[in-house]
Amino acid sequence: MSDALSEASDLSADDSQDVMTPAELIAKLEEAWLNEKFSPELLENKSEIVECVMEQLTHMEENLQRVRKGDVKASIHRMEIDRIRFVLSSYLRSRLQKVEKYFPHILEKEKSRADGDPSFLSPEEFAFAKEYLANTETYLKAVALRHMPPNLQTVDMLKAVPEPCLDSFVFLRVKERQENILVEPETDEQREYVVDLEEGSQHLMRYRTIAPLVVSGAVQLI
Amino acid sequence: MDVQSYMPVQPGVGMEENFLSLDDILLSQERLPCRTETTFPRLGFLEKSSDTRDIPEGSKMEMPLWLAKGLYERKRRVLSVELPKVYREGWRTVFSADPTVVDLHKMGPYYYGLGSQLLHFQNPENPEIAQAVLQTFIGRFRRTMDSAQNAYNEDTSALVEPLDSLERALFRVGQGGLNAFQRWETGSASRLTASSLVLNYRKRKITDLQD
Amino acid sequence: MCRFICSHKKNVLMDPSEVEFLSEKETVTIIPNFSLDKIYLIGGDLGPFNPGLPVDVPVWLALNLKQRQKCRIVPPDWMDVVKLEQIRDQERKEETFAPIPSPYYMELTKLLLNHASDNIPKADEIRTLVKDIWDTRVAKLRLSADSFISLQEAHAKLDNLTLMEINTTRMFLLDSLNCMYKLRSNMQPGSGATRSQDY
Repeated sequence: MSDALSEASDLSADDSQDVMTPAELIAKLEEAWLNEKFSPELLENKSEIVECVMEQLTHMEENLQRVRKGDVKASIHRMEIDRIRFVLSSYLRSRLQKVEKYFPHILEKEKSRADGDPSFLSPEEFAFAKEYLANTETYLKAVALRHMPPNLQTVDMLKAVPEPCLDSFVFLRVKERQENILVEPETDEQREYVVDLEEGSQHLMRYRTIAPLVVSGAVQLI
Repeated sequence: MDVQSYMPVQPGVGMEENFLSLDDILLSQERLPCRTETTFPRLGFLEKSSDTRDIPEGSKMEMPLWLAKGLYERKRRVLSVELPKVYREGWRTVFSADPTVVDLHKMGPYYYGLGSQLLHFQNPENPEIAQAVLQTFIGRFRRTMDSAQNAYNEDTSALVEPLDSLERALFRVGQGGLNAFQRWETGSASRLTASSLVLNYRKRKITDLQD
Repeated sequence: MCRFICSHKKNVLMDPSEVEFLSEKETVTIIPNFSLDKIYLIGGDLGPFNPGLPVDVPVWLALNLKQRQKCRIVPPDWMDVVKLEQIRDQERKEETFAPIPSPYYMELTKLLLNHASDNIPKADEIRTLVKDIWDTRVAKLRLSADSFISLQEAHAKLDNLTLMEINTTRMFLLDSLNCMYKLRSNMQPGSGATRSQDY
């Protein structure tokens, strides 16, 4: 049985140009999970990571089918699979929660996306967002709006649902040193100033200031 | 566990209200002292004390925030909104001396929300009101935080009582964070907690029987 | 180990059990009483395991093997009364957050003491010391939060603060900062007024 499990991984290594070990892949998934949990807006979907992780899990589960029950090694593999699955579902769930919270704005952004640009949403998330909007509108109509005078029978969802607040503060850890990050003043008496973000240091500051660094992977939200 | 079946929308806090926020809907019902600067034809039904058809110019009346905002016009003075006393200079002085002594629930309970909404009505004192509301929040923050973070397993009603609705919401968030940690910390090692809960449950059952 | 219990409360970004989950990825040394070949996990290789020979494994596996009585756990270096006393004293002396031996010191202490206290000398003293360190640090965190708000600062450096510490006060602090931000934007006339809603 150990043969079935020893060649556990290393897929996708041959046909993609940037080779990533399965361990690095899992680390990427965890980064994406924490960033998504802590960023005030919906981040770009990491469908490649999700797909690769799913592949790894399926592959490992297939191998485990062939192992007899009660095998110690198999039980350890199963524990690891459960842990990875937990991170994966928590990641996807926190994205769905944001879709539920900000659906009109997310759909608007999707509408104004240029043709070549990658979508922030996976096809499934896009379908979910559209359906969520339609259901909310149908529901509001059924319970309230149809009883209103004709000129008050619509609700502009873009106005009714609050936008994500990009001025929220976030906690972050620096992975790659950054120089001259501009800190805008909070009050009229203060002046703007710049800070250097040293590798490994931790900060509390506005999301808007460092949002591009989250995208590039230079900082990790914590 | 307080599992919620929907995602409650937070109050807008500033001058913008959140349409789907229950707090903001309640806030919009707050009554404001107003004076009509023109005749409002056929709106006499709003004024319960009289049975005229129109509201004559110069009438003093209270109306809810949503109505005052709807009738108010920037260009034409048709309505003037008086400041509720808690936003007037006298009270602003009290707040600047020590914001923590004031019972903002009694004086509010939407002190911050209403204070922000009042800025829609062009009052010469608007800058001072905005400043006072902000400074009050900052001045009371420490106390809100201390009550929220130190009050595990205690009766919190006395701590919560003088808080404005916004501060209460923050208090609950703070308690939520603390309680989640305490639950985790005592989690699986908490035979004591578990048995005391069982004891209390039994006690309650006995008293239930005695009633 | 309340893993896989997810929080359904939507206003909580992260539950303490999820922070604990992350801490279980840290490695710890065990002394197994069984033999097993190398295991090729997705996250990396483990083993081989030989009776009596120390080997490094992630905490989640160490605890599982311990519960199945298949190993003894070697406490991390810092989980020691003398070392923790030094850390506690330094923490009390300094105004800023002192360096801590593990970013998951609180979680690991709880996990190891609850599940392997027979492998950890002076477990009770260690529990008390770690709690003292925690209390001192959380008190500092509150002081910093208060001064951050009252000085209306835009940036704070928070080195050495752990995820679990941030997590106890995260939502409260962030929500408060948001409220303050909005109350402050009231003072720029026109910013909110022009966009006010009209239903």
